[in-house]
Amino acid sequence: MNVDIQSLGTFNQLAHEGAEQATQSMGQMTGIDAVVDVTKITLLDRADVGEELAGRDFVGVQFSFDGVLEGDTVLAFDVDSAGTITEEMMPGSSDDEAMARSGIEEIGNIMMSGFIDGWADYVGATIDHSPPEYIEESGGDVLPDAPENGDHQQVFVFKSEIEWIDESVNFYIYMLPEYESLTEMMMDHVDTDGDAIPIDKLQTFNEMTTSGTQKAADNVEMMTGIPTESEVTQISFAPIEDVPKQIGTDTFVGTVVEFTGTPSGYLMVLFDEVSAINVAEAMMPIEMDSDELTDQHKAAIEELGNIMTSGFVDGWANVLQTSVEHTPPRVVHDMGRAIMDPLAAQVGQYQEHAFIIDSQMRTDDIEFQAEIHALPNEKELRAALDDLDVERATETGADVEQIFK
Amino acid sequence: MKVYDGSQTDSPAQSSPERIKVGIAEYKVTTEPAVLTTSGLGSCIGIAVYDTRNTVAGLVHVMLPSAADIDGGNHAKFADTGIEALIEAMADAGASTEAMEAKIAGGSDMLDFSENGSSIGSRNAKKVRETLEEHGVPVVGEDLGGDHGRSVKLEADTGNFVVKSANTDSITL
Repeated sequence: MNVDIQSLGTFNQLAHEGAEQATQSMGQMTGIDAVVDVTKITLLDRADVGEELAGRDFVGVQFSFDGVLEGDTVLAFDVDSAGTITEEMMPGSSDDEAMARSGIEEIGNIMMSGFIDGWADYVGATIDHSPPEYIEESGGDVLPDAPENGDHQQVFVFKSEIEWIDESVNFYIYMLPEYESLTEMMMDHVDTDGDAIPIDKLQTFNEMTTSGTQKAADNVEMMTGIPTESEVTQISFAPIEDVPKQIGTDTFVGTVVEFTGTPSGYLMVLFDEVSAINVAEAMMPIEMDSDELTDQHKAAIEELGNIMTSGFVDGWANVLQTSVEHTPPRVVHDMGRAIMDPLAAQVGQYQEHAFIIDSQMRTDDIEFQAEIHALPNEKELRAALDDLDVERATETGADVEQIFK
Repeated sequence: MKVYDGSQTDSPAQSSPERIKVGIAEYKVTTEPAVLTTSGLGSCIGIAVYDTRNTVAGLVHVMLPSAADIDGGNHAKFADTGIEALIEAMADAGASTEAMEAKIAGGSDMLDFSENGSSIGSRNAKKVRETLEEHGVPVVGEDLGGDHGRSVKLEADTGNFVVKSANTDSITL
C-alpha cells in the first residue's frame, strides 16, 4: 500500500484550505480576525493523539462523518477563547451557559460544514456528517478516541492550528479519519509511482524512531542520573514553509548536527532554558552560583546533545542497515523558529514538502523536557524506506528494542 | 494577495494600531497605520517596503534566493519573485515606486553547514539587494548576517523598522 508525496501534499493543502474556509466563516460571524497558522498530517501512536493539548481545558464540537471518508472531526477552543468568541457573536452570552453553548454549537456547525464540504468537493463524492455534538473536556480527552486500526497502533491525524491576530489564544481543528478509508482514498489519488512511499514502512520507521528516542533518553539517564522517559514520537508532513512553525517562538538551547548517509538531513536536540539549566547542573560536579545560562551550562548541553544525537542516529542506522554519520554538534541558543528556519531553507532548496520527525522526552524528578526534531531529505528518506525490510521489522516486532541494543 | 484597508473588519475601534502577522513565505500590504510583524527569521529575510507619502506599506518574509532554482511553489517563498509580488501589490494599493524605500533584516549565517560556497543567508541577502535595485527601491536600513535569529516589525505610517533578537536589545532602523 503506497501513498505518493504529491497526494500527501494535496491532502495537506486540502485540510489547510478547509481550515481557512472554516476560519473565514467564523470571522464573518464574529468579526474576529484569525489565521490558520499550521496544517500538518501526522502519523503517530493512537495513545499519543492530543498529547500536545495536555493541561488545558477545551470546549468545542465534534462530528462524525462517513462516505468515501469515515471518521471524526473536532473543533476545539480554549475555554477562554470560546468565551470571547461567543461574546463577540452575542454580547452578554458568555455569562449565560446555555447561550454560550448554543453559540459554540452554531459556530462549530458552520465552520465544520465548510471543512467537510471542501473534502467532499475535492474527492468528488459525498461525505455525510452527523449533527454537531457539544463537548467540554480537559486536554486530549476533547478528541474522540482515535479509530481502531487493525493490528496497527498508529493513526493519521490532520491538525490545523488557528491563531487570533490580537490574542495569544489558539484553537484547533482535528480530523481523525479511519485508516482504511483514508489510505484507500490516498491510493486512488496516487498519480505517479516514482515518489510513492509505502505506508506500512512509514509506521515501522516511526516505531524505530521511538526506540531511537528511548536510546537517547537512556543516554541522558546515564550521564545525569535522572530517570528519563521517551514520550511522543511522530512523523509529520507539511509544506516546507510551515516547518519552522513546528517549533515555538520561545527561546531554546540545544545542539544541531547535519547527518549524512541514507537519509541525510538535520537533527536538533532542543531544551527550553529552564530544562537546559536543570539538566546541565545535574551533570556538573559543583553548584552554580547563578541561575543564568552560562558557558559551562552550554558546554554540558553540547556534550549531552552529542550523545543524544549519537543514540538516535545509531538507532536509525542499525535498523536501516545503512551508515549514518553526523557532524560535531553546534550549540544554539535562540528563538526556536529561527533555529529551524535555516535548516528548512537548506532542505527547501530541493523539495517543496518535508517530513519532520519529532520526539519528546521528559522526567518526573526535575523540570526537564527535551525535544528531538529531525528533518531528513525526503528523496533519501523514501529510498531508505524502500530498502527497509518490513518483513524483518515486523518479524522482530517485539524486537525493535533488540535492534537498538 | 491580501490588502488590509480596514474595510473588511468591523471590530471595535482600538487605541493601539492593528497588528498584521506575516508568516513565512507570505506578504501583506496595508494602507492603514498598522504594524506588520514577522518572527523567526534565521537565514530568511524580512523585507519591509513603504511609501510614507501615500501611506502604503508591505512586508514579505522570503526563505530562498530565487524561484528559478526550484520548480513551482509560492512566489513569496523566494527573494526575487517575493519582492516583485510585494512591489506590485503595493502599487495596486496606491503606492508610487519612486517614493518607496526598503529596510531589510535577517539572512543570518547560523547553522550553515556548507563547507564550500556561501550560506543561504548571504545568498538571500545578495538576491534581495539585487532585486530591490532592479526595481529602483533604495535600501535605507539593514541588519543582516551574524549568527542569531531575528523578529521584526514595521510601523506602516512611519517606516520605522524594529529588529529584535533573542539575546540582545531591539534596534530601530
